[in-house]
Amino acid sequence: MGKVFIIAWKEFLATVATRAFILGMLIPPFIMGMTLTLMPLLMNKKAPSVFGHIAVIDQTGVVAPRLTDAFSPEKIRERKEQKQKETRDAIVKGSKAMGLDDKRTADIQKQMDANPMNAAANMLADTNLTVQVLPPDTSVDEAKKEILKATGREQVSNGNAARLALLVIPAGSVRSSEEKDGQPVFAPFQLLTAPRLDVEVQSDIRKQTGRAIVDSRLATAGENIATIRGLMQSPEVEESAVTAKGDTKINEVAKLLVPGAFMFLLWISVFSSGQYLLTSTIEEKSSRVMEVILSAVSPMQLMLGKIIGKGAVGLLILMLYSGVGLASLVFFAMADLVPWYNLVYLFVYFAIAYVLIACLMASIGAAVNDINEAQSLMAPVMVILVIPMILWMPILRNPNSMFAQVCSFVPMINPFVMVLRISGSETIPAWQIPASILVGLLSVVFMCYAAAKIFRIGVLMYGKPPNIATLIKWVRMA
Amino acid sequence: MTNAIEIRGLNKSFGTKKAVQSLDLDVPEGSLYGFIGPNGAGKSTTIRMIMSIIFPDSGELRVLGKSSAVESKDRIGYLPEERGIYKKMKVGAFLKYIARLKGLDSAEAEKRTKEWLVRVGLADTYRKKCEELSKGMQQKVQFIAAVIHEPDLLILDEVFTGLDPENRRLMRELIREQNDAGRTIIFSTHAMFEAEQLCDRLFMIRSGVKVLDMPLEEIWRTYDPKMVVVEPIDAADVSKPWGSLPGVKEMDETDGIIDLRLNEDADVGELMRQAASLARVRRIELKRPSLEDVFIELVGGDAAKLRQELRSGPKNVPQEVARG
Repeated sequence: MGKVFIIAWKEFLATVATRAFILGMLIPPFIMGMTLTLMPLLMNKKAPSVFGHIAVIDQTGVVAPRLTDAFSPEKIRERKEQKQKETRDAIVKGSKAMGLDDKRTADIQKQMDANPMNAAANMLADTNLTVQVLPPDTSVDEAKKEILKATGREQVSNGNAARLALLVIPAGSVRSSEEKDGQPVFAPFQLLTAPRLDVEVQSDIRKQTGRAIVDSRLATAGENIATIRGLMQSPEVEESAVTAKGDTKINEVAKLLVPGAFMFLLWISVFSSGQYLLTSTIEEKSSRVMEVILSAVSPMQLMLGKIIGKGAVGLLILMLYSGVGLASLVFFAMADLVPWYNLVYLFVYFAIAYVLIACLMASIGAAVNDINEAQSLMAPVMVILVIPMILWMPILRNPNSMFAQVCSFVPMINPFVMVLRISGSETIPAWQIPASILVGLLSVVFMCYAAAKIFRIGVLMYGKPPNIATLIKWVRMA
Repeated sequence: MTNAIEIRGLNKSFGTKKAVQSLDLDVPEGSLYGFIGPNGAGKSTTIRMIMSIIFPDSGELRVLGKSSAVESKDRIGYLPEERGIYKKMKVGAFLKYIARLKGLDSAEAEKRTKEWLVRVGLADTYRKKCEELSKGMQQKVQFIAAVIHEPDLLILDEVFTGLDPENRRLMRELIREQNDAGRTIIFSTHAMFEAEQLCDRLFMIRSGVKVLDMPLEEIWRTYDPKMVVVEPIDAADVSKPWGSLPGVKEMDETDGIIDLRLNEDADVGELMRQAASLARVRRIELKRPSLEDVFIELVGGDAAKLRQELRSGPKNVPQEVARG
């Protein structure tokens, strides 16, 4: 047994301690983790402050006072707070849309307040703007020149604050002189800004001016501004699904995401480790190191060691990715979407699926002379590879259909099917879990037996690569 | 003396081709045994059966007192004919890995790896990748892999292939050293010259059939052809009556060199004296047979074709490399 573990350890290191593996397998979850932790910190960084004034040529005589009010320090602070609240509400709404209950939503809300995730609001620049009202007959070209002196990034106002923007509001923008299709037509207002003015500030000026103009129109028409604004709010929606157990919140995203993630985890870890096993076996054969190794260990020890070693690689991938997945669920306070026993099943089915695939890969690797010859024997593996992808949607949509139940007992694909069904939203008959594991274990025993025979004959066989019929003959040879 | 290997009535066929036929062989402990024969004679097949890598169709085989080499793998060192290394692995890591697989603990494996690399002049390759080594260097690394665990029985298949003359000398030295340390050594070669220089017992095989199996000294005694070669200085002297010298059975002349085959009871000393007085000669010598001659005599048939067969190198190796 000692030799088997020496081989396993070497096989593990031969795959893991390579640049390709570290770049391909370890870096992506690492980056994901970094993004999750660093993003809020980065987003927390405040946008640069903006100092300066907005010049207004108001030909209506009613808009300028409203604008001056909108850019008063109190109003600017109010808007910023409002934006923070909106961000928080959006996240809470998002988690509700994913089907989380109120308790969990409250948890998220609490975490959002403790956590600088709401830092998005800080993107709004720290503005210190004043409104300078110019006489209505000021020349636009003259007033524009002042903007050229500004950079848009002024930190200190040197007595006279820099001119960041110029608004030209024509009389026609509030009082309409003509009509089209029964509606009044208003003249557009002009906004001239310094080239590097913060986009958030620009959009704020645009929005506030628009609002000031509309309010002026309402006032001119003798309407109550607050009433009209209140009536114009867009209605909110509450959606539920009708089920026998009573109406439940729609759970569509979580319903598809979690089982899908589970199956892909299983799929990626099984097939990437299987692929590593195939290439390392072929390399040993084509470089003729095989016989050197076989002078020290038996073919069985070699095969076992290789399967364990590459299995450890698969397990590492599985733990790494499921770890990152879990960490992000915990981060978003959604960890109870994935019960712990689902993880246990994930690892049990990984073991079954991996050994089956590994046996296939070891047999193919041992039987051929190089990677090109392996292609022709890969057909059965490709089938197993593709089937879970095809079955994914139908099984998810109906985890307890006859089709899904039958697939749970088909050797080779049943680990994938069971992982989908178990992590899905519907409860499956309890007896089917141990029964499918039993089917899996029986197929593992059979595959090991067959692979052992093929491996033993194949490893020292050079020359014409065998076809599947020959492989079956090898298995049947005593 | 006990035998390291005992083989009785061994048979092995691949399809219709009989690779080894009713082979009997005893390899005494401590001997340095040469397996010789042309390509495809059955040398590697026999060795692989000894190593339990392939299994005989019939016959008995005992290795180090056990019925299978599997039971005493850690006591056997094997350098296969089809040998390779892990290209991407570092030389030191590769040797340590093999040593650990052969039952050494980690510290001992590291110590011996370093000692051996120094011994064969590859000390600076410890951290190099195997693929960076030349073919000859790789060969030395593979030899170390075979002997690092100090086996009782060392089996070297085509060990000289691909080595330059200097490294062949080193390899002969290392093999002798291993033998002096009391290890039983079997090495196969298609190059008779190496066998002649190194082994103390010889096993010849052709088309799966044993043709010879005896100590080297005995071979020279048994297959002494009693032949005297005379080369006259003056080409005209070739026509002198060499054939009627006492004890000469047959005479043969090619390119001014005269081969005199003698009777069994001929007095070699007297003959050489008389030959020297017959004409002025450049050289006159009692010819020792080469293993090649012995092989050809034993096998019979077309001598020229056999020589060609013997001299062609092993598979996949260019001729000049094979002959060194």
